[in-house]
Amino acid sequence: MGEDKTLEYLLERELRVVNSYVAAKRKTLTELLKEDYPHILTLSGDIHMFRKSELMLAKEVIGEDAERLMLPIYIELIPAQTVTTGVIREEVATKLISTLLGIHHTTPLYVYPVQLAELRRKIGTLIQYVVSPEVLKEIRDYEEVC
Amino acid sequence: MLRLARPTKIEFIRLRRRLATARRLHRVLRDRLLILTQELVALYREVVEHRLRVHEEIVRCERELIRASSYVAPWTFEEFSNVKIASFNVVVGSRIVAGVKLPLLEHEIVEGRYDPSAYPVTLKEVSECYEDVIKRIIRLAEAEISLLEVGKEVQKVKRKVNALENLIIPRLRATIKYLRMKFEEREREDKIRRKRIKQVLSRKARI
Repeated sequence: MGEDKTLEYLLERELRVVNSYVAAKRKTLTELLKEDYPHILTLSGDIHMFRKSELMLAKEVIGEDAERLMLPIYIELIPAQTVTTGVIREEVATKLISTLLGIHHTTPLYVYPVQLAELRRKIGTLIQYVVSPEVLKEIRDYEEVC
Repeated sequence: MLRLARPTKIEFIRLRRRLATARRLHRVLRDRLLILTQELVALYREVVEHRLRVHEEIVRCERELIRASSYVAPWTFEEFSNVKIASFNVVVGSRIVAGVKLPLLEHEIVEGRYDPSAYPVTLKEVSECYEDVIKRIIRLAEAEISLLEVGKEVQKVKRKVNALENLIIPRLRATIKYLRMKFEEREREDKIRRKRIKQVLSRKARI
């Protein structure tokens, strides 16, 4: 296999991995709390389970807004930054995360490595990292050009 | 530098395209490596903490057990352990972190029906202590397997990132630079040749 093909193959495979763990259909917190084994299906067909204790914690924090909180919460990683910075764009999710971290509530909410580690500890199964759509868009544009 | 059959413009364009792909791939992989490394460090800390706590708690439970056994008959122990918990299940699921499938273990304890006043309080304390140990061991098992899985993935991704960073991208850059210099040189030669021809032609015209 030529180097060209190897690179293309690796890129394609990597993108498949990047997209594979995105949920096929997200569920609300209320829906998940009703399930015996709260889970969602990913695009690759795998099952992503949520810890019940974490769901209960989220319910305690956001209360009435549980109907509107879509899970998993996506944290977009911004590659342009020197340190890993994540951004959360959904209103209810930012409310939950800012309360858990004890920071000022803004939308979009930017979270830094220390905060990411704390989030992972508190609601590890409720969050999922996604590669920034900007990068994916760039790659798509590039593929179209080629 | 890459070996080139012919230093042509087409080759140059192809190489630039290849460099762009390599750079994008590097960016995606680097992001994934960052998440995975963070997960690895957090899991390592979790494993160490759980392991220490498990050891501490086992020692505490043993102490409690010895204390309780000094004034509780062995058959009471057996009876209590039969009625205390109706069922103990471990649900094995999975969670996905940055494309890596990790196990998720959740315990379900169904308390049995019994008269608490029929048994000494120390027995309840001992059983609660062991329950905590079991819960912690489940978390430890989950963290240890996850640590192994994430470690393997980090190794794989790191190898790819290093290959791109230290081998493929510099090699492509060097080849592109070489081609660019080659084209510039060719252009300069052309310019000089054209000047020379012009000079020769003007000299001939004068004669």
